[in-house]
Amino acid sequence: MSIEIQNIGKRFGNFVALDNINLTIPTGELVALLGPSGCGKTTLLRIIAGMESADEGVVKFGGEEATHLHARDRQVGFVFQHYALFRHMSVFENVAFGLRVKPKHERPSEAEIRRRVLDLLKLVQLDWLADRYPSQLSGGQRQRIALARALAVEPKVLLLDEPFGALDTKVRKELRRWLRRLHDEMHISSVFVTHDQEEALEVADRVVVMNHGKVEQIGTPDEVYSNPASPFVYQFLGNVNVFHSRVHGAWANVGADSAEGVPPKGKEALAFVRPHDIDIEHTPVAGGIEATVQDVHAIGPMVRVELAHASELIEVELTRERANVLQLAKGQCVWLKPRQVKVFSVPEVPLEEGGSGI
Amino acid sequence: MSSYVARKANAEPRWVRLSLTGIGLGFLFFFLALPLVAVFAEAFSGGWGAYLEALQHPEALSAIALTVLIAVVVLPFNIAFGVAAAWAIARFDFRGKSLLITLIDLPFAVSPVVVGLVSLLIFGAQGVFGPWLAAHGIKIVFALPGMILVTLFITFPFVARELIPLMQAQGRDEEEAAVSLGASGWQMFFRVTLPNIKWGLLYGVILANARAMGEFGAVSVVSGHIRGETNTLPLYVEIIYNEYNAIGAFGAASVLALLALVTLVAKTLVEWRMRQETEMLEAGLPPEKTS
Repeated sequence: MSIEIQNIGKRFGNFVALDNINLTIPTGELVALLGPSGCGKTTLLRIIAGMESADEGVVKFGGEEATHLHARDRQVGFVFQHYALFRHMSVFENVAFGLRVKPKHERPSEAEIRRRVLDLLKLVQLDWLADRYPSQLSGGQRQRIALARALAVEPKVLLLDEPFGALDTKVRKELRRWLRRLHDEMHISSVFVTHDQEEALEVADRVVVMNHGKVEQIGTPDEVYSNPASPFVYQFLGNVNVFHSRVHGAWANVGADSAEGVPPKGKEALAFVRPHDIDIEHTPVAGGIEATVQDVHAIGPMVRVELAHASELIEVELTRERANVLQLAKGQCVWLKPRQVKVFSVPEVPLEEGGSGI
Repeated sequence: MSSYVARKANAEPRWVRLSLTGIGLGFLFFFLALPLVAVFAEAFSGGWGAYLEALQHPEALSAIALTVLIAVVVLPFNIAFGVAAAWAIARFDFRGKSLLITLIDLPFAVSPVVVGLVSLLIFGAQGVFGPWLAAHGIKIVFALPGMILVTLFITFPFVARELIPLMQAQGRDEEEAAVSLGASGWQMFFRVTLPNIKWGLLYGVILANARAMGEFGAVSVVSGHIRGETNTLPLYVEIIYNEYNAIGAFGAASVLALLALVTLVAKTLVEWRMRQETEMLEAGLPPEKTS
């Protein structure tokens, strides 16, 4: 079922949590709401679920107005960051809950409940845990049970609030691939909230990048990564070098500006270059800037080089092969040439430290 | 294991530990064990027969019945108000929330005698509602309704105070999960909320019950001390003690003391269960965030 969000706004006192959000999620898509903590992504998810009410705007499910529909009538499956399993019920009873609370005339028979719960437990590959209690399960197992419980009522929409946020890295990676497969099998619309850009880029069909209660960009993972619509998106998705500059010709003037003290022309701007979009050469190159090598770290499959240009620190990432060819040493003077630069005019609000690392 | 092996580097010297433990045990003996023994010794000083006879005195029986009646009437109200107040405070943010929390504590802060006097001022013959109540033939002060009202007021905080921190610690997630799965408000309450708070609730009820049965000051003011009618156990003890009926007084007191012992045992059992549940709750908490 498709979800439409029109002009949604929400305040908590003076704090604007959501500001005029518009978003359409077509049937069958897996959408990630991505942003730093406090950007409003969880509030938006809770408004879709009916657990929070919007101050203004409209939520539609499958074209039908659902803004004032109670959470219990929305047919929405919700998965919480901290699982929220019923701790006094066995795994079986947790999954059966949604079926048991149905009004009498809709409630399946005991045998039918049993069959459906065991099917769901098989689906999440945990049917052997049916008689355990939540406290006897690992975090990954709990989250899969929480998912089975949410799916038991056959929701038309699945909402997940930082579903893997409390799990360790390895389990998290396994579970998100598994979620992707599950989503494809179930043919439902799913929305999940995350602050982990890697997770969003890997799992989602589309990524909604949010900041300060606003949508910064909506696009496929490739679009938002390689063609960011704003400085915030650029910084939030991966590492980036920012050059403050007065621009009329991107990169060349990035260097010229501070080095030669050219009087500024045009308007003030910021240039963004990803660390892996910069090449290092030993000889001067056209459009390059000169820099001194400060540090060289080998991190996994790549080599991170820190360089100083004037007083600014620049990060460059090279493949191991390229680093072996260059044989960089501390204090060495090299030339930098960007493969791709993106220029934005200076935003009114100063940029915060974005990006959670590569 | 011998003590010097178990002794930790940061432990106090032996004499400090021994004297502190000694002071603690001595205090317990003089202020708890000794009075308890004295009550029972005095009650049985005339022998088993005299003890039973004293307890079977019609006034004693009516005092016991009244005490139980008041507790039985008060506790359901306490449970309903306590759960409602704790739920409102733990689950919702609203204006005046801190005022409500303060108000819940008020009965602890006010002397019970003052509570009784205030009831007289409001419901007494010269009180605010006195003439109206008299005109409609409703008797509150110097009768059972007044005693129930003041007991209700005095015991109100126990359940709520026990539940607020518990419900705050448990959070809203499970209830929200229940609602998103289609549960109605009552289904959510009886299937999710209540099972999670049942031990805390029972603990609060036990404490409230002990207080309801033992309350003296407030009840004394509004009871009017009508023998065989508005005397609860504590009031009865005082009256017959003043009449130099030691066996009767201590006999009735021994019933109260017994009640205290039962409360202690029940309280310990529930505390033990609660600790188990808390451990389960803590085991239920997710591991440290890795991101």
